Amino acid sequence: MTMTDTGVRWVPVPPRRRRPRTLAVGGAVLAALLIVHVIAWRTTEMSFATLLDGADGMADFLSEAIPPDLSADVLLPSLEGALVTLWIGLLGTTLSIPFALLLALAAARGTAPGPVVYQAARGLLSFLRAVPDVVFALIFVTAVGLGPFPGVLALVFHNVGVMGKLWAETIEDADPGPPTALRSAGAGRLQVAAHALLPSLTPQLTGLLLYRFDVNVRSSLVLGLVGAGGIGFLINQSIQLFRFDEMLTHILVVLVLIVAVDRLSALVRRHLGSAA
Amino acid sequence: MLQVTGARVRYGDREVLHGVDVEVAAGELLAVLGANGSGKSTLLRAAAGLAGSDGGENDGEVRVDGRERAPLDVALVFQRIHLVPRRTVLDNVCAGALGRLPLRSSLVAALFPRAVREEAMGCLERVGLADRAHDRAGALSGGQQQRVAVARALCQRARVLLADEPVSALDPAAAEQVLGLLAELAHTERLAVLAVLHQPGLAARYADRVVGLREGRVVLDGPAGTDVGSLYPADDRDLEAVS
Ligand SMILES: Nc1ncnc2c1ncn2[C@@H]1O[C@H](COP(=O)(O)OP(=O)(O)OP(=O)(O)O)[C@@H](O)[C@H]1O
Ligand SMILES: [Mg+2]
Repeated sequence: MTMTDTGVRWVPVPPRRRRPRTLAVGGAVLAALLIVHVIAWRTTEMSFATLLDGADGMADFLSEAIPPDLSADVLLPSLEGALVTLWIGLLGTTLSIPFALLLALAAARGTAPGPVVYQAARGLLSFLRAVPDVVFALIFVTAVGLGPFPGVLALVFHNVGVMGKLWAETIEDADPGPPTALRSAGAGRLQVAAHALLPSLTPQLTGLLLYRFDVNVRSSLVLGLVGAGGIGFLINQSIQLFRFDEMLTHILVVLVLIVAVDRLSALVRRHLGSAA
Repeated sequence: MLQVTGARVRYGDREVLHGVDVEVAAGELLAVLGANGSGKSTLLRAAAGLAGSDGGENDGEVRVDGRERAPLDVALVFQRIHLVPRRTVLDNVCAGALGRLPLRSSLVAALFPRAVREEAMGCLERVGLADRAHDRAGALSGGQQQRVAVARALCQRARVLLADEPVSALDPAAAEQVLGLLAELAHTERLAVLAVLHQPGLAARYADRVVGLREGRVVLDGPAGTDVGSLYPADDRDLEAVS
């Protein structure tokens, strides 16, 4: 038997008995996973052969796209479009704050006025979250016509659902101490929310808001593809006109925009984190 | 001032308080002592009207100043203090007045009426922290925070103050200071103060009277300095002797 300098003995690891049931369950799970993947593969018509056949098309596409068309009459509209996209994302986020806050308070145990309101608020949030913003955009484009406005509306609707849910969860996880203290001093529900919950949670709630802003700017790009204004609209246009060099310019501008927003939001969130 | 009569609290079919009577006079600091699980917190919650809100059942009567207890009659001070650390000391104290403010003058701190702010400053001065009014509550030491919590309770204008282990999370010097403050408030402002304590030594020094609980019954009621050793299991007593 070997020993270390400190006098600890090497002890053989005793055999671990695996129970046959664990093995059977593990095997079954593995088999099931395999089967669903085979089904998925077949249904989506995955095929390496098609990909290889398409390689020529890809090469053509790339040769047309590179170099990107950086002339002023492409780049300037592109930058303008990117700004519109940014404004859509910004308004879509900001305008959803009051609705998200009200619904979050109604959908958090502890601040909800009663079980009926709680369930109703939860249901509404789930619905808004379940309908993708692109679907909202298609609906609003039909209703109010092409342009950035339906894009803002679409973002507000979907974002209220997502942000309301995130905020409600943050409110539920808050330290119950200060609310208890204020309730015992006779404060009402809204007073407790305003003076105990929200002030304690400001950094978390703002962090989630910035995260949503980041996501919404990216979504508003996709909304542009379905006609809701911004640079997405330009990308769509250049694809339809087979101007792939212009498309690449737009995509590069988008890249810069998204990286900038992402950096900014990360920076602010880090500051919030250190202030908390 | 505070009269608890026949407090009987049940959780499920387990009775935790078996008809406890406790009375605290205006101008008196009463210390409640007892081993873990003897029912001290439950008694305090019953006095505050909170037993029953957590699945317990409570019979018995609580009277304040001869009348049945109204919601704002008693103020609470907690072991874990429960201030909002990110807000200023002054805003935290003002929050004690929320129960009597309408929503339109209390939805955000900026709306608090001048009178409330000045009263809160007075409460802060009472606990010796007027110079910290604009600091973030979280920047204060534990003992200072507990004094701010006492100021918040004062701002509620309750005549009865209930404190569950108000000094258990504090270092010895801060504990002495907070208890000294509670005793002084009882004596000079004629408040009725009931404090659950875990250190018989502190109770002997600051309380006017001590009540001992064991298994949900009052087994001891006497002036400060009464020997309370019998309340604690034997091996705990050695520890208490050391502290
Ligand atoms: N919400 C509750 N549900 C069920 N039982 C409870 C509840 N609260 C208290 N009890 C029981 O009541 C008894 C008394 O509890 P209490 O908290 O009053 O004791 P305590 O004297 O404050 O103890 P400690 O010194 O540990 O704070 C305990 O046996 C506890 O298990
Ligand atoms: Mg207790």
